[in-house]
Amino acid sequence: QALPQRSSRSAIQVSPRQRGNPVLAALRSLPWEYSDIPADYVLGLTTCALFLSLKYHRLHPEYIYQRTRKLQGKYNLRILLTLVDIPNHEDSLRELSKTSIVNNVTIILCWSAAEAARYLELYKSYEHANFSAIRGQQSSSYAEKLVDFVTVPRSVNKADAIALVSNFGSLRDAVNADPDQIGVIAGWGPVKVRKWVAAVEEPFRAKK
Amino acid sequence: MSATSAPQPVKLSLPLEYQQALFQELRSEDELIVLARGLGLMRLVTNLLHSYDAAGNNLIIIVGAEDRENAWIGEALAEHAAISMSPKARGLTVVNTDFTSVGAREKMYARGGIFSITSRILIVDLLTSLLNPETITGIMVLHADRVSTTSLEAFILRIYRQKNKIGFLKAFSDNPDPFSTGFAPLATMMRNLFLKKASLWPRFHVVVAESLEGKKKKAEVIELEVPMTDSMRDIQNAILECVEVSIHELKKANAGALDMDGWNLDSALLKNFDVVVRRQLEPNWHRVSWKTRQIVNDLTVLRGLLHSVLTFDAVAFLQHLDTIYAAHSPPPGSTRQNQSPWLFLDAAQTIFETARKRVYAASTRPAVAGPDIDALQPVLEELPKWSVLAEVLEEIDRDLWFDPPVRDDSNGTILVMCSDANTCRQLRDYLQTMHVKPKTNEPERAKMKKTKDVRDDDDDDDDDDKSKLSAAFMMRRKLRNYLNWKKEFARVSATLFSENQRALNGATDGRSGQPLRGKAPPNKRRRVRGGGAIGAISGRAENGSVVPLADRPSDVAGLVAQVQATEEEKAQHQKADAVADVVADPLDDMEDYYQLYEMQDLVVIHAYDGDQDEHVLEEVKPRYVIMYEPDAAFIRRVEVYRSSHNSRHVRVYFLYYGGSVEEQRYLSTVRREKDAFTKLIKERASMSLVMTTAAADAAHGHGAGFDDPQEAFLRTVNTRIAGGGRLAATAQQPRVVVDVREFRSSLPSLLHGRSMEIVPCMLTIGDYVLSPNLCVERKSIGDLVASLKDGRLYAQAEAMFQHYKNPLLLIEFDQNKSFTLEPFADLSSASSASSASSSSSSSTAPPSVSSDVQSKLVLLTLAFPQLRILWSSSPFQTAEMFEALKSQEHEPDPLTAVRAGLDRDMRADDQSFNLEPQEMLGIVPGVTPKNIKNIVLETENLREVANMSQEELEPLVGRQAARQMHEFFNRNVVEE
Repeated sequence: QALPQRSSRSAIQVSPRQRGNPVLAALRSLPWEYSDIPADYVLGLTTCALFLSLKYHRLHPEYIYQRTRKLQGKYNLRILLTLVDIPNHEDSLRELSKTSIVNNVTIILCWSAAEAARYLELYKSYEHANFSAIRGQQSSSYAEKLVDFVTVPRSVNKADAIALVSNFGSLRDAVNADPDQIGVIAGWGPVKVRKWVAAVEEPFRAKK
Repeated sequence: MSATSAPQPVKLSLPLEYQQALFQELRSEDELIVLARGLGLMRLVTNLLHSYDAAGNNLIIIVGAEDRENAWIGEALAEHAAISMSPKARGLTVVNTDFTSVGAREKMYARGGIFSITSRILIVDLLTSLLNPETITGIMVLHADRVSTTSLEAFILRIYRQKNKIGFLKAFSDNPDPFSTGFAPLATMMRNLFLKKASLWPRFHVVVAESLEGKKKKAEVIELEVPMTDSMRDIQNAILECVEVSIHELKKANAGALDMDGWNLDSALLKNFDVVVRRQLEPNWHRVSWKTRQIVNDLTVLRGLLHSVLTFDAVAFLQHLDTIYAAHSPPPGSTRQNQSPWLFLDAAQTIFETARKRVYAASTRPAVAGPDIDALQPVLEELPKWSVLAEVLEEIDRDLWFDPPVRDDSNGTILVMCSDANTCRQLRDYLQTMHVKPKTNEPERAKMKKTKDVRDDDDDDDDDDKSKLSAAFMMRRKLRNYLNWKKEFARVSATLFSENQRALNGATDGRSGQPLRGKAPPNKRRRVRGGGAIGAISGRAENGSVVPLADRPSDVAGLVAQVQATEEEKAQHQKADAVADVVADPLDDMEDYYQLYEMQDLVVIHAYDGDQDEHVLEEVKPRYVIMYEPDAAFIRRVEVYRSSHNSRHVRVYFLYYGGSVEEQRYLSTVRREKDAFTKLIKERASMSLVMTTAAADAAHGHGAGFDDPQEAFLRTVNTRIAGGGRLAATAQQPRVVVDVREFRSSLPSLLHGRSMEIVPCMLTIGDYVLSPNLCVERKSIGDLVASLKDGRLYAQAEAMFQHYKNPLLLIEFDQNKSFTLEPFADLSSASSASSASSSSSSSTAPPSVSSDVQSKLVLLTLAFPQLRILWSSSPFQTAEMFEALKSQEHEPDPLTAVRAGLDRDMRADDQSFNLEPQEMLGIVPGVTPKNIKNIVLETENLREVANMSQEELEPLVGRQAARQMHEFFNRNVVEE
């Protein structure tokens, strides 16, 4: 009895060509199924991936270009999942990078079958994800923000941040404080004090 | 002292034989000087500069000078010019951070003189021919040890030597250490510096030894070994144990990457053991687990503690511990075991407990809760060095009294040298109050307090009771402040972490929080949780039985009462506090000077400050020097000072804790420097000397590519391009437009090495523009992680797509870093965690695992399907890649590249921003990538923003954001 087609939506579709690839063995947390597709893996409506081992690429340099051609510009995001399994990868990678621009594929490097499988899983599970995680809009508590704020100048650490604010009460007072006053706080050596004061006093715009 | 064979009769201040020998050598030859630290490198540099300055008509560039050195050189040159009255001397011009405009710089260069230029500006000026290398008379490189093959300084020297073969080139270093690691380090360095000759001047050099020791009267040195107290030793040992365990954990977690066979406990006594560990992990830093990173951070903290146990007084140390504890305790309710492992050790408990016992201890346990006077007794252990210092001062005093020395050149001043400003403050405080006893008769104390400035009438007190010296007064005051602070601090951390607290409370009634807390992992035998502050106040005493440090509030109250009882009156107490405030008195700019004795003698307390110490010695002209902490370089400075002035007597007291980390560090620095020099001397002996500059060019590969006609020809007939249709494009040198900020990396240097033309520009979008279509954003691994986290990369990618057809993201690994993103060891755990979260159900928040780079990268490619990623294992590889990428493309136009992304009405100049303050501003809640522009354009700096009222902010960012920002700055964590 044929399985209903619906299941393929939540599963990674794998081309039968990939049979025997150790990546499949590592693909454990998401369901996958064989399917007749031009790419090696289909990870969503507009996303597909081709798998390439550099060892193989060195022996058959033309293979990957044929495969890319067969995609016929179908998918929007075309991943070239490249397994780096040779030590001198420089030449192959340079060539692949150059052609990736022409062939409209995005190269993702991985170093083991497990990592490759992880990428596939990630692509599938993020199919409908929003991008807030990389847009830097992660809200955090006041304390975290505070620590983040104070620790921007290099060499100032978390303990210093807490010491600073607990000493002055509010951030505003800390910003207004004199170098001498800050220097009294344990842990705030002259370098840190200088960096902090510079960051606070430095104009936003560099002067001409 | 005397005129030399320099072309102009100039007055030099190089009294010692070896200094003059060095000077002569430098005048005649181009070479690298490695001088032992403390032997007066800067003095040599300034004298040499002056000899050129006085001659006039020159253009000399100083590379690699720090701000302080610039200040020093400027001063010294002016001084020399005044002394030798040379009319042509023009002094030093410092060119740093874009303060001078391009036009003005060009004029300045045309005028000539001596310039100290920040490397980043210098390279841009050289590349844009604002400064023609052929017009340069000579270059001096300071801190030559920092020059590496791919560094900016090497790049500068390469361009200089390519165009200018006759100008002089001299390099200086006072740090032999970096020369002693790696393969043939000296030869490599010489090649980087384009120099043929190295001149090494260790302290054991014959000429140096003769000039410093040959005189009849050497400086007297009295060594005083001070024993540590038992509790100090206990703490030190406990810290070392923590270090050992942390290292062990590291080894376990990173079996493959960390080669720590040579590690033993003695290594922990080294100065930078955490840096050593970090360096070992560096190649794999982006792969190590979160826990490993934390342990490495812990090592830094522990190293800090090793230092502070010797320098901080007992109360300050305890306070420091409290802060560290608060900062390292996990947010309550977190399920991950993210507390630093060392905090679970018995040794950590020893540290906390012993530190507390040094300050106060319970004599009898109070049976009833309530203010019991006997509950806690202040102990207030004093640092042993204090009394020794006091004794030494007394001895000097006696000496002066009974045996008044013949007046000589020195001032008779006593100079106390210690390691940092905090110790300075502490010592000053101690010396001021050591004669004050907390329970002396009333009138005298009242008198003392009437005038707040202790300094002035300290003398009166001194005369009265000289009998017994103690720091009791100071320590009690500190304890009082500490107890106040602790009360506040408890509130602060309660406020700061209240959000988390709430989260915890929410969780306890549910499933996760409490039960997890209950079953501690097997390695968690003891918890040091609640080290005072948090535990006591927030009432998280559910594991109270194992809270050794949380004092009952009643006990603390008792202690407070106990300390205050001696003060009798609150008013007086406040006055005492006012006295305490003297420590931070902002008017005390001259704070390191104060009068102690009736004679016109001074006790000057100063912190070691590198080369500046020479100035201190020259200005203070001390007769007695007390080295409160050991410092090898300073000993030499005293030697130089002593030998330079025949008529001055110097006696040095040298204090150190026996068997302490301090002693070990001192000894190992001395040993290491000696070893480094020995190694250098050996290498120099076996080094082949046939390294002409031309050969060095060739060794640099394509260094000479520019004027090589063969290469130029080959370029025009590039057969790789079928049909030769683009002959015209290849006829010109390949060009890359580079953002000026990118000159911090080594890539521009390498691109230049591959004979590409580098056009430095201020780019708003992208870092490198390879062709009209190709724009590259370069990210090193660290950058990549950070910019994915704060959303910068997302915005940059967005911007690139607006202006270029083929935006590229270059992920560049370091030459020495492993070329992989794969985390070690815990890949399995990470993927199992991801599988757990994704398979468990979609109800759990999915992006909890998305913290690692890979998943963010996945998101990025999903967001920008057309973004191409270049993976490069090193900058060298990148350079090749760039060359390949642009081989069939048109050359980019710098002007278009600069214009891209600029607002039409904005001029290019307005685009230069200071990054650090902006980054901080970006963190403030309410500030978004959109409104940040408004703020930056309308306000001056962060301080102004912090002081603005809500109403003032509103027009800039809107009501909601203004409220958020105002609240962020003004929220008072103490009063809440």
